[in-house]
Amino acid sequence: MTPADLARLLDRIAEGDRAAFQAVYDATSAKLFGVVLRILRDRDVAEDILQEAYVRIWDNAARFDATKASPITWMATIARNRAIDEVRRRRPRLSDDAEALERIADPAPSPARQAEAREDLGRLDDCLKALEGERAQMVRLAYLDGLSREELAVRFGHPVGTIKSWLRRSLMQLRDCMDL
Amino acid sequence: MTAPEDRDIDALAAEYALGTLDADERAEAAARRQREPYLDAAIVDWERRLAPLLDNVDAAAPPEDLFQRIEARIAGAASPAATPIAPSMPPTPILTAGDDPRRARSGGAQGEVVRLRRRVAAWRTLAVAASVALAALVGVLVYRPAFVVRQPDQRYVAVFQDDDKAPRFVMSVDLASRQVTIRPIDAAPAPANVYQLWIVAEELGEGPQSLGLLDGVDRPTRKTLAHVTPAALEGALFGISLEPPGGSPTGKPTGPALHGALIPMSTGGE
Repeated sequence: MTPADLARLLDRIAEGDRAAFQAVYDATSAKLFGVVLRILRDRDVAEDILQEAYVRIWDNAARFDATKASPITWMATIARNRAIDEVRRRRPRLSDDAEALERIADPAPSPARQAEAREDLGRLDDCLKALEGERAQMVRLAYLDGLSREELAVRFGHPVGTIKSWLRRSLMQLRDCMDL
Repeated sequence: MTAPEDRDIDALAAEYALGTLDADERAEAAARRQREPYLDAAIVDWERRLAPLLDNVDAAAPPEDLFQRIEARIAGAASPAATPIAPSMPPTPILTAGDDPRRARSGGAQGEVVRLRRRVAAWRTLAVAASVALAALVGVLVYRPAFVVRQPDQRYVAVFQDDDKAPRFVMSVDLASRQVTIRPIDAAPAPANVYQLWIVAEELGEGPQSLGLLDGVDRPTRKTLAHVTPAALEGALFGISLEPPGGSPTGKPTGPALHGALIPMSTGGE
């Protein structure tokens, strides 16, 4: 399903079309579940959050703006934001786990990604590589695994304040790099 | 992006999108973006910049029945294109429309609303007369009909009970955050059945609209009703019906139902 297909289906969802909703769910739920499960690390909680995310997608489909985001980015962001809300609310959780480290050690991208996204990822990857030392890994762990500043501080052995300022500087550097 | 405060907004947006704000900062940023378009736009920009990282996430198949659970939560909340009411659907004890001729078209929502509004008027009188504090709630639960007890700060409580029986559920609502919490008190569904929460509010269209299934009878269910405005919530009527697994198959209540209402009150009482 192309981004244009998804965008058309979102328009139909905005009009209350359940068949369109089912089609969008079928095409995107495995991706979105992967996103929330990785952050939440608990299937039951991830299922709840995924449900909430799709209810939001149903409710807010009319607000989708194709000029601002691709449909899958819009949907994944809704799901991810809910997952991050939840994981921040549920703190503290285990501050470190080997599984997450393993995932980061092997950041092989999924072969199924779309060409359009590949180009964006290439650019983001290049800009991440330009960050100093461990900072690209911090950004990935925060974004993909939902690690908090405190968890990053434990993992990388630096004070929270240092992590905070590093993240902030890294993000500004990323922005400047990507917006070139 | 030159003024210092612009830089601060962009940094806040970046950390919001990255996800590293703590719970309080995150809630504050989420509230601010609702009223600060500049911050909202900055967050959207950052979400777009970072989203390509999601390509690194492995897909994971959700459980087979998850879509049905989602559908149960949106059931009835759709536009007129939504599932039509089956004419043969048995009337529910609470949301019965009598002989309202519009029932065939709309599920008799108007009749239900009128009927339930009358009950609300009665409850309002009682609630005002009672004017009990939440601390006394347990003490008054044995009385019927449902008491509705106001708490400070836009918090409301409604009690769900059968006409002559002990309360089954107590629901609290925080209008500001649109969060509802339903606590089972003495609810025991038949095996394999589930409880489903409904709302009747004119703003949401005719008839009861599903707010989804309750998590169970052994723990509270919390929901954020992002699609219902505080004003609609305040005046809404609520129902909890017993439904088959997965929720109502018709998008409207099909099983025995309990009802409750939140009574809007001014700060100084009425």
